[in-house]
Amino acid sequence: MLEIRNLTKIYEDGTLAVDDVSFTVPDGEFLVVIGLSGSGKSTLLRCINRLIDPTEGEIIWNGIDLAKLEGDELRHARRKIGMVFQHFNLVDRSSVLTNILTGRLGYSKTWPTMLHRFPIEDREKAWQTLERLGIEDQAHKLARELSGGQQQRVGIARALMQDPELMLADEPVASLDPVLAHSILQHLEDLNQEDGLTIICSLHYLDLVQRYSTSVIGLKAGKLVYQGSKKDIRNMTDDEFKTIYGEEAIRISDTSLEGSLGEVVEQ
Amino acid sequence: MKSKKSQIYKEASTLPSIVPPWLAAVLSAIVPGLGQALARAVQRGLVIFFSFISIIGLLVWRFKDAAPRDEGVVDIVRKAFRLEPIFVLISILFVIFYIWIIIDAYQMAKIAGKPDKRKPIVVMVLLILVFFVIGWQIGQIDLYAFVTKFGDALPAISRVLWPWERAITYPEETWMGTAGLETPCDDTPPPPTEPLEDKPYLIVDPTCGTPSEQIDQEDGTIEVMPGTKLHVEGYNFTPEKEVEIWWKDPAISQFRHREGGDILRVIPDENGYFEEEITWPYRLIPDSYLEGGANWELQGRQVTTIGDWEFSAELKMAIEKMIETIFIGMMATFFGIILALPFSFLAARNLMRANAFTLGIYYLVRGVLNIIRSIEPLIWAIIAIIIVGLGPFAGILALVVHSIAALGKLYSEAIESIDSGPIEAVTATGANWLQTIMYGVIPQIIPPFVSFTIYRWDINIRMSTVIGLVGGGGIGYLLTQWIRMLDYSAAGIAVWFIAITVALLDYISAEIRERFI
Ligand SMILES: Nc1ncnc2c1ncn2[C@@H]1O[C@H](COP(=O)(O)OP(=O)(O)OP(=O)(O)O)[C@@H](O)[C@H]1O
Ligand SMILES: [Mg+2]
Repeated sequence: MLEIRNLTKIYEDGTLAVDDVSFTVPDGEFLVVIGLSGSGKSTLLRCINRLIDPTEGEIIWNGIDLAKLEGDELRHARRKIGMVFQHFNLVDRSSVLTNILTGRLGYSKTWPTMLHRFPIEDREKAWQTLERLGIEDQAHKLARELSGGQQQRVGIARALMQDPELMLADEPVASLDPVLAHSILQHLEDLNQEDGLTIICSLHYLDLVQRYSTSVIGLKAGKLVYQGSKKDIRNMTDDEFKTIYGEEAIRISDTSLEGSLGEVVEQ
Repeated sequence: MKSKKSQIYKEASTLPSIVPPWLAAVLSAIVPGLGQALARAVQRGLVIFFSFISIIGLLVWRFKDAAPRDEGVVDIVRKAFRLEPIFVLISILFVIFYIWIIIDAYQMAKIAGKPDKRKPIVVMVLLILVFFVIGWQIGQIDLYAFVTKFGDALPAISRVLWPWERAITYPEETWMGTAGLETPCDDTPPPPTEPLEDKPYLIVDPTCGTPSEQIDQEDGTIEVMPGTKLHVEGYNFTPEKEVEIWWKDPAISQFRHREGGDILRVIPDENGYFEEEITWPYRLIPDSYLEGGANWELQGRQVTTIGDWEFSAELKMAIEKMIETIFIGMMATFFGIILALPFSFLAARNLMRANAFTLGIYYLVRGVLNIIRSIEPLIWAIIAIIIVGLGPFAGILALVVHSIAALGKLYSEAIESIDSGPIEAVTATGANWLQTIMYGVIPQIIPPFVSFTIYRWDINIRMSTVIGLVGGGGIGYLLTQWIRMLDYSAAGIAVWFIAITVALLDYISAEIRERFI
């Protein structure tokens, strides 16, 4: 179980990105974070695995406060938290296989990995993961030679190599077209339902939120302004929606961003 | 701040002129640009003023340069016009410019405060023309000489373009017959040469006499008193192959015989026999060689090639020096990379902005690299030669210094432009610092590093071919020597080698780059 208590992040330039946010994520949840651009979704997710150091607050995970960890303890905690990025963040010029094996670095001895040596079990695991995501044909290509959807599957595979118990996904489908978006989210859903992996995922498209989430939180200007179950978001009213997305939401629908949250207003 | 400035300028330009148009014109005639400035066109006035001053300065210098010995403005100008008519053109343009300044001042004062702006396009063209013509004169551009003298240079150029006759030689043997001569004649002239079997020999008649003499006349001219006429017969030479006639004088220096200024060539008949009338030549010989009579020797030489062709010494030298050149470039690149690496990290802003101290180092390293880079390798070579003397090491040092600066900058820019995304992703997997560098940073910087390094190696090879021009070793050194000795064929061989090598390396480096990146 993950429990966020009074989490606050103020950047060096004074930007208040996350403002006193508290919520709980039971194990096995598929939590979707929604909110306008700049509302603090990425900051929140990055605080959880400490790519960003929170200014205040606690991140209690399985009884440990991640916010206080340093050095090896932090690295060991990170091993169990996979992360998938909007822009995939693959090492473009490395092979797919190397990118995926990167997920094992936290478990490996330093010196062999300097020579690109990984235990045979890790290599086998890499192939299994590739197969599971249907990209075994691409193993020896360079990451940048792959299509966007394939790259994001490599990103998921890399996270899976960590044997994660928690998966953070920061707008994993925002740079993909809708068909690919579904296939990527189905992979995540799979992991959530079959392996019981807890997933925290930020999304922008309402139909995707409705289709995949088991619960939803909404951020606005760093504040938690909405918290609801899958059922709640189905029945979300215009007003509730506006508290999250502001008056701008109407404009978004006018520019007819198909499938975007803007459609809520019209429904 | 900028907008504020332009606002002030705008306001000022809407004000009426400080002086009436006629006064603006007069003022600009005295101090060019002053009228415009007082007509609220300060910028225009300044541009006019400084253009005017610099043209005046250039003109004074050029006129002085053209007529350095003359005094007085009128004399100098007249002389310069006569020597270089282009000055007339410059002066006309200048006068037009001056008149335009006065008219412009009048009009600027008249339209000041009104919205219509006059764009000085015509005068801009005029100004550019003035500087262009002055530049033409300063550059001593002489298209006429270029066209007319091109023909004279053709033989030399054609030898540079196709130097390969010089690439091979045949071993030679000299086949020589001689005859002795004595001066002055005494009671017993030397006997004629004994005929020889199977060997060439010369018979001269008479066997004694006097060489030609030069007599200085009163009026300073020199008159030549012809020496004894000699009848020369040659025997046993190789038939129908040119014989060179040479002299060995009492001071034992040897020279080729000339008859009426031209080198004498004789061709023996099918029996190896020839005869020729020659005049005993003039030779300035120290008295000490002449005591008690002096012996001269007449020689008939035939040069024959024996055996197969072989590569010429020049070709071999060119090859050796070309290899030396490539190694100079290689060693320089090698040391350049090793030394540039640490500097590149210090010069990468994203790594050094952590605190004021490291940022200070960043600026220092950046600054030093920029200064070093702005000095050409040839100049570094001259400095290196002062320290370590002529030779390849000086060339290597020069190129290393320049490579460090150039590569340091390129590498540091590569480091600055790496994507933080993958680094973040690797960190997020729980990898430690070393692993993050190895898997997140290195793969990103290797391709640009390789690319820049190949690029640099390319430049270094190219530079090493010219670094020899100042004495830094390599083929450039040979090239300058051969050009100074007017041996254009040998120089052509060097030029060809440089061209071939550079083209080849271009190709190779393009290939490597393709593979890597
Ligand atoms: N490194 C940083 N330094 C300063 N301010 C930052 C930094 N990163 C983000 N911010 C600011 O913090 C706020 C929240 O940013 P964040 O990236 O978390 O938003 P987001 O919800 O992920 O937006 P998006 O949907 O566009 O990704 C924004 O105002 C942003 O400008
Ligand atoms: Mg974001």
